[in-house]
Amino acid sequence: MTRVRRKRMHCNNKELHHKYKTKRRTKDLDQIQEDLLPENRSKFQSMPEDEDLPGLGQHYCIECSKFFVNDLTLKEHKRAREHKRRIRDLKVPAYTQKEAEAAAGLTTDNGKSLAMSGRVAGPQSLLSLKQKNEAAKAAMDVTAV
Amino acid sequence: MRLEKCYFCSSTVYPGHGTMFVRNDGKSFRFCRSKCHKNFKMKRNPRKVRWTKAFRKAAGKEMAIDSTFEFEKRRNVPVRYDRDLMATTIKAMKRVQEIRARRERAFFKQRMAGNKERERAENIREIQKNIHLVSTPALKTKEVQKAAESSKQMDLD
Repeated sequence: MTRVRRKRMHCNNKELHHKYKTKRRTKDLDQIQEDLLPENRSKFQSMPEDEDLPGLGQHYCIECSKFFVNDLTLKEHKRAREHKRRIRDLKVPAYTQKEAEAAAGLTTDNGKSLAMSGRVAGPQSLLSLKQKNEAAKAAMDVTAV
Repeated sequence: MRLEKCYFCSSTVYPGHGTMFVRNDGKSFRFCRSKCHKNFKMKRNPRKVRWTKAFRKAAGKEMAIDSTFEFEKRRNVPVRYDRDLMATTIKAMKRVQEIRARRERAFFKQRMAGNKERERAENIREIQKNIHLVSTPALKTKEVQKAAESSKQMDLD
């Protein structure tokens, strides 16, 4: 038998490429967290029979967004490490674009002070500060003279 | 011109660069390069990937709390164009950048402080532990003497 390559195989691994196609993208954690809300949970309790899905789409694990052929396999799955890991991942709030922007140092300031105390937001305040400084300087000059 | 932030690594995405992925529920994700897109497709969590900004900030690798971050904000308030305002803003931007760069340098120095001593101590410990592997006799006696001296000093202290 010839030697089977084990290393540096990632570029030839068809299964991996198949798995990572956006065409067959599975649900993300934030979508699942939404599914787990009490108002959305009931949707998965009584799903219509779909013959394209495993077990006619009757045995669904919401946390893993997976269909199973029967109740036994679903029960087996719920005891598995994969499922428990998923539950652990779902406990923390999902990553968002907002978090990405905050990490880059970009946050939102809708100028609460604008409505609250009549102070102008951001760049305007910078200008007023400059004017104030200049006025102070001019006053200093006058006293010096 | 709108500059977006990459969903995965938080770097700036300039117009005409990167990829946008629109999920089947209508939510869009922007990526600065294929590296970030691929990592997203692999369902990696940016908080756990060590080279992303999210990780570095959360793990204390970079300056996260500073007053220089208070200037750049998404304000959602239209400001009428004003030549003076523009000039002062640009001046302020440069100044803030300068200050931030200086503070970041200081932060890095602070973070790396004590590394040299720790490394040296580790090296000495390793040599003393494996002294039987040192073949040069002169070096050996020197090391043994040094170890004795250090232990004597420890006693004195």
